[in-house]
Amino acid sequence: MAGEPILQIEDIHKRFGDLEVLRGVDLAVEKGEVVCVLGPSGSGKSTLLRCINLLEPPEKGQIYLEGRDVCKGADAPSGEAGWHADFLRQRIGIVFQQFNLFPHRSALGNVTLAQEKALGRSKAEAEEKACSLLARVGLGDKVDEYPERLSGGQQQRVAIARALAMDPSVMLFDEVTSALDPELVKEVLDAIRELADEGMTMIVVTHELGFAREVGDRIVFMDEGRIVEEGPPAQILDSPREERTKRFLGLVLER
Amino acid sequence: MNEILDQYFDVGLMADNFDAVLEGFWITVQLSVIAGVLALLWGLLLAVMRQLPGRPLLPVRLASVAYIDVFRGVPLLIVILLISGSLPFLPLPEALRIPRWFGKPDPFWYGVMALTITYGAYMAEVYRAGIEAVPAGQTEAARSLGMSHGQTMRHIVLPQAVRKVFAPLLNDFIALMKDTTLVSVIALNEVALVGRDIQSSDFNSSALTLGALMFLAVTLPLARLVDRLITRERGRFSRTSPRGAA
Repeated sequence: MAGEPILQIEDIHKRFGDLEVLRGVDLAVEKGEVVCVLGPSGSGKSTLLRCINLLEPPEKGQIYLEGRDVCKGADAPSGEAGWHADFLRQRIGIVFQQFNLFPHRSALGNVTLAQEKALGRSKAEAEEKACSLLARVGLGDKVDEYPERLSGGQQQRVAIARALAMDPSVMLFDEVTSALDPELVKEVLDAIRELADEGMTMIVVTHELGFAREVGDRIVFMDEGRIVEEGPPAQILDSPREERTKRFLGLVLER
Repeated sequence: MNEILDQYFDVGLMADNFDAVLEGFWITVQLSVIAGVLALLWGLLLAVMRQLPGRPLLPVRLASVAYIDVFRGVPLLIVILLISGSLPFLPLPEALRIPRWFGKPDPFWYGVMALTITYGAYMAEVYRAGIEAVPAGQTEAARSLGMSHGQTMRHIVLPQAVRKVFAPLLNDFIALMKDTTLVSVIALNEVALVGRDIQSSDFNSSALTLGALMFLAVTLPLARLVDRLITRERGRFSRTSPRGAA
């Protein structure tokens, strides 16, 4: 898996008031790679994803996507205006813990809206794409349902289809199963696993160690706003080098 | 006892003046609907201006906030008097100084302007409450899909916000309708002025009572509708937590 990384971030810093949430994070992701991010709550892993697609613009740092510098330069204004946010967001999809489906639009409407408005696709083209994606995540028969009539797992799969409809080159998953009842977790993880098998590049923030071991090409362990250690899943999960990683895994596996 | 009853409910007098009072009430209704629709649109525009993003648009946001603060704080009657007593003397085209559009007299249009200006400010606040009640995750989802601020506002935030505040907006409309009677002070022959003229010539208030009853015929059903909408909206909220979510 050598070659130019599809996504590269360097020295990302983010603070909320006095709290420094990210203290210099570097990460390079190869095309087709699945990076799973583990870490205790408050370690900055969700903030890292939100910085990568500029929902929280970093104060400092570089982001390169498909070889292009996303930062407008050293003298660019602070906040979102200092970044090529539209380019980045159309190329990076994100799925949230709370689904965030649009409640006033059907499953189909959720998946077609941004295709038409942000990409300028025709209604017919957007609907065809939406139907095939909804079928792919197993919701071919729920196209006309509104979010409130869908289960959490179904809503989350619509959210995955909605992000995929933009033909992203990278997908971000932010604890996408944490708000789900246990029996609904599998259907969502299966959908993500299928994506991985098809070669989608992904960064997955998760607490599902089994999933990280099975699907991840690499595990990144974060704590206190920094990457503590990273490596192949088997190595991180079975023989971590760092004390903090051992402690975290010990606490998680005790359950 | 009969004298007291007759003062307010002289049925013969009501019957004699029914047409005149109804004519006045028809002007009230027209004034309410035109000013109501304009205030709804103007309030929406003000609320959207208040939400514009970025540092360069800060002056627009501040102007919107200042406008809303000022006109929520100034009595409608003073706005009516300011407009009707100043517009005719400003260096403007005749059609603006003394507006007589669509065959309506100029006090009618001064009233429309004053009501729109004042109630636009009230309704902007209602819209704002609705906009702020839409979860931040909605905006984040739309922006993360590459939609612009304007597209997110238009297709995601406003449709949800307006649905949430439909009932309070209707409440403001009822208040606006009642406040149209203030335009009687600049000699618009709406229902209050018609009733008052009869009251002072006949020393009997029944025509005003009749006007009040006509108001109730419209405002009571509207108030019930508001209640029903609020109940329905509560029902919707209780169902928003997705089935199967922890």
